[in-house]
Amino acid sequence: MMLLPCPNCGARNVSEFRYVGEAKTRPDPTTATPQEWRRHLYLHRNPAGWTRETWYHGSGCRRYFAIERNTVDNAVRTAGATS
Amino acid sequence: MSEPAAAVSTAPPVARTALAFPGPRRIVDGWELTARHATGDLVLADLGPLVKLTVRGPAEGAVRAALGTGFGRTARHDEGALAGALVVGAGPGEWLVLGPAGTGGELLAATRAVVADSGEFASVVDVTHGRALVRLTGAAAPALLAKVCAIDLADRVVPDGSAFRSSVARVVTDVVRDDIRDELDDPAGDGTARTRSYLLHCERSSGQYLADALVDAGTEYGIEVGAPPSAR
Repeated sequence: MMLLPCPNCGARNVSEFRYVGEAKTRPDPTTATPQEWRRHLYLHRNPAGWTRETWYHGSGCRRYFAIERNTVDNAVRTAGATS
Repeated sequence: MSEPAAAVSTAPPVARTALAFPGPRRIVDGWELTARHATGDLVLADLGPLVKLTVRGPAEGAVRAALGTGFGRTARHDEGALAGALVVGAGPGEWLVLGPAGTGGELLAATRAVVADSGEFASVVDVTHGRALVRLTGAAAPALLAKVCAIDLADRVVPDGSAFRSSVARVVTDVVRDDIRDELDDPAGDGTARTRSYLLHCERSSGQYLADALVDAGTEYGIEVGAPPSAR
């Protein structure tokens, strides 16, 4: 079992959450080129190591939040809420 | 040869809660409930007729102050506009207001007035018929819930008057610890004895499954389904 630290509810079983994806900045829709949109939507860094990602606590507070997770050993540290 | 007259029922409409159990039924306040009486030490009671309102607004502000509680705690109002209601902080910026059966219109109007007086924008919606609500009472209640819920239910983590939302038997459920006064076994004699009691609140369509799962998990503790030990 893997525990995720929800900023509202505390540590909960990962089965209560939905993985949203790598947390990244959305490009400005008025100036972004199709190539930039494609890169934003479909290309991910997927590093072996620490990555910042967004999760959704669907079985609890129903809020989105960010954590930092090490993809090698699944170590998790808090990174605050997302917008 | 004339057509037989269509049977027209003049009985008042009867509402049904999300839960149905085998055995006799009775009508209380326009709601059909099981007529079984539970006398055991662990009782699952259907509180579906209670009025249920959801309030959504800013998590920290005037609405929170007006309702008297925030995320993770409950407040029982004995006086004021919400007298008789139990306000549960169900989530950040989300409240559940429970009131006695049959008070839907008054409680909705009172809650809307309280929210309006706070000056903040918040929504108040009556979800009485859209949710299932049961009360699980007995000293073995935490042991039963530990079989279907991953949350530590010790006093230190979930004291009386606290609430959380989590997965109970894989159903997203609001769990409210609301211990009831123990009338029969009160060694101090001052009314401080309490029996463990939890309110479990979920979407209506999951209610029967949740109740059946609780009864299944509670068989080893001698769980009984029946009338609630207290009125609310």
